[in-house]
Amino acid sequence: MSAPTRRYSLFEPNKIGELSPAAKFILYSFLAAWSLFVLFPIYWLLITSFKTPAAVNNGPFFLPWVDFQPSLHAWRDLFILDFEDTFRAYSNSIIIAVSSTALSVLVGSMAAYSLSRIEFAPNLITILYFVALLIGSCVAIGVYGADLWLTLAVAVALFFLLARAVGKLYTVRLKNGDILFWIISQRILAPIVVVVPIYMMFQSVRLLDTHIALILTYAVVNMPIVVWLMYDFFSSIPRDLEESAQIDGATMIMTFREIVLPLSRAGLSATTLLVMIFAWNEYLLALFISTSNAQTLPILVAAMNAGERGILWWTMSVAIIVMIIPVVVLAVVLQKYITKGLLVGAVKG
Amino acid sequence: MNAHSSELTAVAKGITADKLNKFYGGFHALKDFSLEVVPGEFLVLLGPSGCGKSTALRMIAGLESISSGTLTIGDRDVTDVLPKYRDIAMVFQSYALYPHKTVGENIGFPLKVAKMPKDEMERTILAAANQVELADLLDRLPSQLSGGQRQRVALARAMVRRPSVFLMDEPLSNLDAKLRGNMRAELKHMQSELGITTIYVTHDQIEAMTLAHRVAVMRDGELQQLGTPKQVYSDPANLFVAGFMGSPPMNFLDGEIKDEMFAGPGITLAAKGYADTAYATLGFRPEDCTVVEKGAGQLDAPVYTFEMTGDQSLVTFRAGDKSLVVKMPNDFEVAADETAGISLPTSSACFFDQATGLRIRPAS
Ligand SMILES: Nc1ncnc2c1ncn2[C@@H]1O[C@H](COP(=O)(O)OP(=O)(O)OP(=O)(O)O)[C@@H](O)[C@H]1O
Ligand SMILES: [Mg+2]
Repeated sequence: MSAPTRRYSLFEPNKIGELSPAAKFILYSFLAAWSLFVLFPIYWLLITSFKTPAAVNNGPFFLPWVDFQPSLHAWRDLFILDFEDTFRAYSNSIIIAVSSTALSVLVGSMAAYSLSRIEFAPNLITILYFVALLIGSCVAIGVYGADLWLTLAVAVALFFLLARAVGKLYTVRLKNGDILFWIISQRILAPIVVVVPIYMMFQSVRLLDTHIALILTYAVVNMPIVVWLMYDFFSSIPRDLEESAQIDGATMIMTFREIVLPLSRAGLSATTLLVMIFAWNEYLLALFISTSNAQTLPILVAAMNAGERGILWWTMSVAIIVMIIPVVVLAVVLQKYITKGLLVGAVKG
Repeated sequence: MNAHSSELTAVAKGITADKLNKFYGGFHALKDFSLEVVPGEFLVLLGPSGCGKSTALRMIAGLESISSGTLTIGDRDVTDVLPKYRDIAMVFQSYALYPHKTVGENIGFPLKVAKMPKDEMERTILAAANQVELADLLDRLPSQLSGGQRQRVALARAMVRRPSVFLMDEPLSNLDAKLRGNMRAELKHMQSELGITTIYVTHDQIEAMTLAHRVAVMRDGELQQLGTPKQVYSDPANLFVAGFMGSPPMNFLDGEIKDEMFAGPGITLAAKGYADTAYATLGFRPEDCTVVEKGAGQLDAPVYTFEMTGDQSLVTFRAGDKSLVVKMPNDFEVAADETAGISLPTSSACFFDQATGLRIRPAS
């Protein structure tokens, strides 16, 4: 049933069903080997969580009931003896990951949407004037011990009185591209560089070791990624669609709900997943900002190799397994929204 | 008609544009665009690509801000009014179909926004789909349609409502010749039946001629002439309109007018009542003149090509660096390279000023 005008090319892709049995065998063996390679660490994690310390130390053992006798002792340790710690870390992680993701996706995608739809033209000089006032106030308060409220009042007054005049001195207009670049440039510095200032900031407002501190930090760290990804996504939705909906009489909210949201679902899902995984796995910032109350799962896991009994591979495995599960579930749930080609047929060409 | 749909039916409204201007940064896209559309009129904006037709239409729709000037729909000044309060329906040049909605949902979206009851909505959608011959595709997604079918969905989505103004940006450009003819007739019928004021953008003069009550010819953001199709065709206001309308377009010859005679390269023609000028252009339509024996017409020239198009034959002459086309009946024949004469009646000649391009008219 092959078509009469079949083109033969050098690298013509074949359907697996059309391959010869030998080729099929080779292909499937390769795929099987690859999945073994990928899945083995997870399998190893799983069996380690059921091993006794002896079974770990005398290993390597690979097969439960054959090589070693599985035991639930690590699971019991983590979920019964240390239940409070485990539960606290788990719920902290969930609260912090979910809230910071929600915050950064919400604010970030709103920023991205407005950047893709509105031409902004802020005046560089006015911005520099603002920054100069800010620095001036900080110096006045920090170095010369000026009164906080007085300085603030003076700075605000100066800003509103002179901003327009200063802006007229010299007009350099920034464009949306500049704003976008500035936003993404916030990610250029390695986190380790900013960790100390962040620590000191939260210390001075007495928010160290609270959920709020980690939620805010993660939201800010993730915001550039959200803005960048969603900007691209919103820009790919033709403006005509929203204009058409508005001519048809739809309100802004209705346009957003009926047109923009369904079309950006894929982008939002992918972004949410990415950001959530970051917040879920983040270690460095959490290490500095949280000590006990706001401790998250990665910190709990890491703490397990610091005990006086040496590295507790078995409990660590249990903790890692429970840490992986939500991410896998989330990925599976969101996967069905992450599809391409949603926009086909909207506009011509 | 029941209560709800008569509520959707609006009275036809006129549109007045007064000195509308549009600047895109430093680019002047629309220049002092003034126009009055009477209620129930079918007005066509005609012009070459990039002349600002879509810009003008989008300004009337409220999608593009008005840099200066005023716009009135009915008795209301809508210069700064949001699109949704202007009571218009629009067909976009790009179709702008909602890709995640089926054809039926696309067509029904304006009704859904207007909160029409479900069963009535379904009936209205079906009626609109029937008008554009799409009734059996209601469950498809736009991505599963051909270009022409998408365009018809866009048309149906505009026609499903009864707004006070229709705005259409090249709504038939992607259809094949036969379907285009059908849709043209359908549109014209619907418009005269409903009496809804319509502004229709196109660069196809046949569409303009057949559909319009009046045609507005545009060029480089400027309105060139506004008149009935007949006026625009047979009484062009300037060289551009004369050269844009008709296919093949008008023939032009440069020359001078002296003592009520036009004299150009190899031609003299009576120009009764015209003032003397050294820089005049003579224009005449291919169908207004005839090919005659050498020496019998006002102009002799070698035949460059001879084309049969089926219902007529086109004879192209070479006169200096210009080509002149004459339309003859389809039984006419002449050999290329032969020299023949062109006879043109004085009454059908138009004269233009070379410098300004404007039409020159006789004094009396
Ligand atoms: N957003 C914009 N920014 C800058 N210039 C624009 C913009 N939109 C249109 N223009 C310019 O304005 C002019 C008129 O454009 P417009 O879309 O109105 O042309 P048109 O007559 O509809 O052409 P076509 O028949 O090809 O659709 C063009 O020269 C175009 O380049
Ligand atoms: Mg256009």
